[in-house]
Amino acid sequence: MNLFAADLRAFGAAARKELRQQRRYPTLFLGQLFWPVMLPASWVLMGQAYSGNDSQALAAFAERAGSSNVAVFVFVGYAMYNWLSVLLWGAGTALRQEQMRGSLEAVFVTPASRLVPLFGPGMATLLPMAVVFASNFLALRLFFGVAPPIVAVVQAAAIVVLGIPALYAIGALFAASVLRFGEVGPVVQLIRGVFVLACGITFPVAMLPLWAQVGAKLMPPTYIVDDIRRVLLRGDTIADVAGDIALVLSLAVLTAILAVVVFRYLETSARRTGMLGRF
Amino acid sequence: MGEIRAAFAIARKDVRGFSRYRIAVASTVFTPLYQFIIPAFLFGAAFAVNGKAAGLAATLGTDDLPGFIFFGGLIGGLIGMAFWGVAFSLRTEMETGTLEPTWLTPTHHETLVIGRALGSLFWFLISQVALFAFGVWFLGLRLRVEMLLALPAVACAVLAMVGVAYLLAGIVLIIREANFFVDTANFLFGVLSGTAFPVTLLPGVLQPIAFALPTTYAIDILRVQALGARPLFDPALEYLVLIGLTIVSYPLGRWVFGRAEEAVRRRGMLAQY
Repeated sequence: MNLFAADLRAFGAAARKELRQQRRYPTLFLGQLFWPVMLPASWVLMGQAYSGNDSQALAAFAERAGSSNVAVFVFVGYAMYNWLSVLLWGAGTALRQEQMRGSLEAVFVTPASRLVPLFGPGMATLLPMAVVFASNFLALRLFFGVAPPIVAVVQAAAIVVLGIPALYAIGALFAASVLRFGEVGPVVQLIRGVFVLACGITFPVAMLPLWAQVGAKLMPPTYIVDDIRRVLLRGDTIADVAGDIALVLSLAVLTAILAVVVFRYLETSARRTGMLGRF
Repeated sequence: MGEIRAAFAIARKDVRGFSRYRIAVASTVFTPLYQFIIPAFLFGAAFAVNGKAAGLAATLGTDDLPGFIFFGGLIGGLIGMAFWGVAFSLRTEMETGTLEPTWLTPTHHETLVIGRALGSLFWFLISQVALFAFGVWFLGLRLRVEMLLALPAVACAVLAMVGVAYLLAGIVLIIREANFFVDTANFLFGVLSGTAFPVTLLPGVLQPIAFALPTTYAIDILRVQALGARPLFDPALEYLVLIGLTIVSYPLGRWVFGRAEEAVRRRGMLAQY
């Protein structure tokens, strides 16, 4: 077996291990059913309070958000929020978890490539992510009676699939970076908070000051959320958002390279200082 | 007197322990800001017509968007204090293995809950001062003197939440997986109390539950006094119901906590999780 095939096997094994651990804690899946339904539902009701069913207020929202359909706007935003949560708390903290369990050194002693522990756990986020999107879609249909056209749903799903590499790379970059921190929970909150405020999750990006809008343009979730909304709410097609998708894929490559560089730097530093097993 | 000293000692220990985690302390302000206050403000502002929250005025009788968000958040913070600061801290003690030694001290076990509530109240006050300062400086929050008239309602809500904290602490002692329970129950309690939107917008089946929560009335009285919002019911009646629910929730919480404690001692579950 050549080296690449061996690393590929190790990659599969790393993903399988994460999935097996998820299976052992089924209550974690309860959260993936509860939050994707309840969080956006409460924000839709907030939208009703803020609009007061006033036509002028709804028109003002439509002008800023691109549509007056508050329910779909909020549910799409929260799909991204939940995706980021799964990513940051799951793959994003995988290396840190290994460090806390004392197994990171043992993993590094194996002959597998360092890229395996960095990128392998990300595969396991695909299942919870699928559960989150399915819960979101069903809640939108059951509680708010919204059923977007099937062609639009398929195109939105395609945008999600094309967005996976970018989110995957963000997870890996985060996982590598948090090895530096002692307390990882608040860092997850901080990074997720930046995404929530910058990427148009619960409010239109147009509401941000100009400098923040420029910052938002550097973050892949901004494009993914906006493109899904354009397809579901404004009747745009994949072809209309192709430029955004190309940009998201480019950002994915850049983020992945950055993740590898950060990981290599921290690993070298940790090996020199003997910090790998400490936290 | 000894129990009061013990309660303050527990509060001091909790405050000292938490203050060692600087990022966690900062997140008591940062998390509500990014999770609720700023997104809710910008979301609400997206509905504004000529700079006025006309939609909110139609729903609530006031167009004071920052006030609506911040006063809802104030009671939301109080609810979070009971759920995370008191009930979940017992779980943390279980995990660190210090619950049994604590339980063996001569201090009443009810005092352990009160001590935690005092410690949480300290962080609650600090975080609310910081959040309100942020609101005044950056989001145009205006504070009116009339809001002081709602202080008795807030005090009632604090007492009622101590009762709820007892009840939750009892549940946390019994169940093994407390994180999901505390997280979801905290969210539902806040939503059903009307922290984020008026309870009249809830589906009909959920409204009776909302009207059985003391915090629903505390939020409404606060918004009426501080913002001049339209009340759900006559404010005098709301005060009466709030006092009644506070009187009920405290002994009910103590009773559930006592039963749970007895059960875990009989079954030897105090250190299990």
